[in-house]
Amino acid sequence: MQFRHVQLKNGLTLIGEINPNAQSAAVGFFVRTGSRDETPSLSGVSHFLEHMLFKGTEDLSSVEVNEAFDRLGAKFNAFTSEENTVYYAAVLPEFFSAAVELWCRLMRPALRTDDFDVEKKVILEEIAMYKDLPEFQVIDQARQLHFGSHPCANSVLGTEETIGNLTAEQMRDYFSRRYAPNNLVAACCGRFDFDQTRRLIERLCSAWEPMEVGRTLAFFEGTGLQKRQTQRGLTCEHICLMSPSVSMQDPRRFAASLLSVIIGDSTGSRFFWALVDPAVADTAVMHCEAMDGVGILSSYIRCPTENRQKVLQIVQNIFDELKQNGISENELTAAKNKVLSAITLEAERPMGRLVSLGFNWIYLKSYRPVAEDVQAVKSVTVEQINQLIRDYPLEKFTQVSIGPEDS
Amino acid sequence: MTLPGGLTVLVQPVSGVESASFAFLLPGGSAALPDGCCGAAAVLNDWLFRGAGPYNSRRLVEELDSIGLHRQSSVSPEYLFYGGSLQSENLFRALELYADILLRPRLQEDLFEPSRQLALQELEALDDDPRQKVSVCLYERFYPDPLGRPCAGKEEDLQQLTPPQTRALKERLFAWSGAVLSAAGKIDTHAFLRHIETLFGHTPACQECPPPPQAAADGYHHIPNPGAQVHIGFMTKVPPCDSPLYYSVMAACAVLGGGMSSRLFTEVREKRGLCYAVGTRYHSLRSFAGISGYAGTTPDKAEETLSVILSEFRRLRNGISEDELLRAKTGLKSTLIMQNESTSARASRLAADWFYLKRVRPLEEIRRAIESLTTQTVQEFLDGPFSQEFTFVSLGPQPLQSLQNQQES
Repeated sequence: MQFRHVQLKNGLTLIGEINPNAQSAAVGFFVRTGSRDETPSLSGVSHFLEHMLFKGTEDLSSVEVNEAFDRLGAKFNAFTSEENTVYYAAVLPEFFSAAVELWCRLMRPALRTDDFDVEKKVILEEIAMYKDLPEFQVIDQARQLHFGSHPCANSVLGTEETIGNLTAEQMRDYFSRRYAPNNLVAACCGRFDFDQTRRLIERLCSAWEPMEVGRTLAFFEGTGLQKRQTQRGLTCEHICLMSPSVSMQDPRRFAASLLSVIIGDSTGSRFFWALVDPAVADTAVMHCEAMDGVGILSSYIRCPTENRQKVLQIVQNIFDELKQNGISENELTAAKNKVLSAITLEAERPMGRLVSLGFNWIYLKSYRPVAEDVQAVKSVTVEQINQLIRDYPLEKFTQVSIGPEDS
Repeated sequence: MTLPGGLTVLVQPVSGVESASFAFLLPGGSAALPDGCCGAAAVLNDWLFRGAGPYNSRRLVEELDSIGLHRQSSVSPEYLFYGGSLQSENLFRALELYADILLRPRLQEDLFEPSRQLALQELEALDDDPRQKVSVCLYERFYPDPLGRPCAGKEEDLQQLTPPQTRALKERLFAWSGAVLSAAGKIDTHAFLRHIETLFGHTPACQECPPPPQAAADGYHHIPNPGAQVHIGFMTKVPPCDSPLYYSVMAACAVLGGGMSSRLFTEVREKRGLCYAVGTRYHSLRSFAGISGYAGTTPDKAEETLSVILSEFRRLRNGISEDELLRAKTGLKSTLIMQNESTSARASRLAADWFYLKRVRPLEEIRRAIESLTTQTVQEFLDGPFSQEFTFVSLGPQPLQSLQNQQES
């Protein structure tokens, strides 16, 4: 495994982890932009723009783009979050250069108005689809309530209103400000030729103009507000809790991640024994989300609506107990083994590895070999996690619950 | 290797990886259950992990967790699946625990109720996941009964289940005589086989006794739901996975609705903006298979969406182009090789091949079969009785008028 990187004069960075024994290779363009970088009138533009990149360039139509990727047998797609837009493709090694070239070209899209108008309908359908998924709704709303006036409260999808009012001109302007080469990282991993890829990127991307690109970073501990909402046609209660945690830049993120496994892994965790095992709830999980300068622990619980109060009481007891007595050595060992298995399995596929590789560079401006992450997980102590519980009180959570109307 | 009790063991060592994965596939899934017991497999699946061999419920989960096992288990109409992935040094320990779970589960009466309650809750949760609900209902109506019965169960049956009844059903659900254990990853084959012989050398002699399939429900069914979208599921019969036409079906399915350059994606989403999610996939049991599809759209666009989808099925019968075939072949080959990078996908494929084909297809054989596809071989499949009848399910504020009219006429 070899790591190489290069930065073009315009600021575009290419990083690569080369594994000559892999059977495939993956490429990703990581753009440091997302809903937190949007103003209210632009709400949803980052995600809409992600769709528009697939609509082609001055000399490629959307049908031609899709055909080109499929001709390479590529597993390709993109996703947008609060703070990143990521485009990726995994292919067999013989198609790698063609996949990189295609993405390079798409990073300078045509953004045609007629394509924009058709795609707007697709985005409105996507918004409608998520309305029918309470599991998604509750997490989205909890994020908005938790972050309050912090930009991480901004919705990734936007609303029917903001998307409806958005113009192609506004999108072009947003694109020109955010897709500057100095705000982009091209990450590659698996079996590929780094020098060939570097030459390709230099040839296709060197003319892109750098821009001043910023983002306001501020820590936010959350509003701690609570709300319940009813929705016609629902059967279960969907609950989301969010409490503050460490950021991606904080070395304690490994401890935070282990803590979330101890509390809310799908088996053997505190949530599992207190909620799922006795069938008080059928799902109860917690994830640690370390972001740019800020972080959250986010829990999702689904239960029969009549169990709502009981669930909240049990969660409160779990958090109180952790505050008083901390975690045990056995819990930590099991959590470490689970996380280490996950790291091992992920690293075995270039597509699995790509996301960690890219995000480490986006957030930390550094390369972290898998072995370094393994070491970081192994070295976390019980006391470090207990200190984390004291530093970021679990009981200071924001709470949203969505369920059927009370009978 | 096949053990005296009937368990077939398949091992595939993989170089350059640190993980290992295993998969148990036990014939006798939800379709093997007698009438009135729908969902017993889902209950049993949870109950099994509430204590086995020397371990009580808590100890068992702690033991599984302490080795960092990522486990999966699922119920299918024709088999039960238990799989896991972990760092290879813990593989043997994991299999020791699975020998306890699968051969010596405690199935304590006092721990039955939470398992049943969880099964009921998961069934209720389907109501809040429209796409999944449509898919369950679609399979139920498409496949001949009892093959389509929902694996998650039926409420009235789950309410009636008792611990002794469920315990007795384990015999039907665990047909060890035709079972497979596969493993892939960093594994020493000889040591692995010796270990398995010790653990699983004496499995109960249980034969699979599949019930004769009855007629399918077919036609159109609507589920009223006051949501934002109409969720449409559709399915039509195609040859099953042991058919010589299998690869032609896969190619045709890819061209129709497999990827982003597929006809449905292009016509429904790219050109008309009718849907965010639209596509098809191949779904096969041992003797029955279908191309199933899904589209989610807002109510005023539902009829147009359906009409475009049906006209694409009709157009497909006229054949596919050389370029479409080339893209489908490249996609199938690349999926094949990339799946091979995951030890868990490898273990699952080994077990599935054995279950459906009674042999393991070498990679090279699959690659050759894909390469030898031509537009003519695909046409042979399309010229057969393809897309003449459909099963439709919709979930949303209003039924689809055109389907309802057709149903009535």
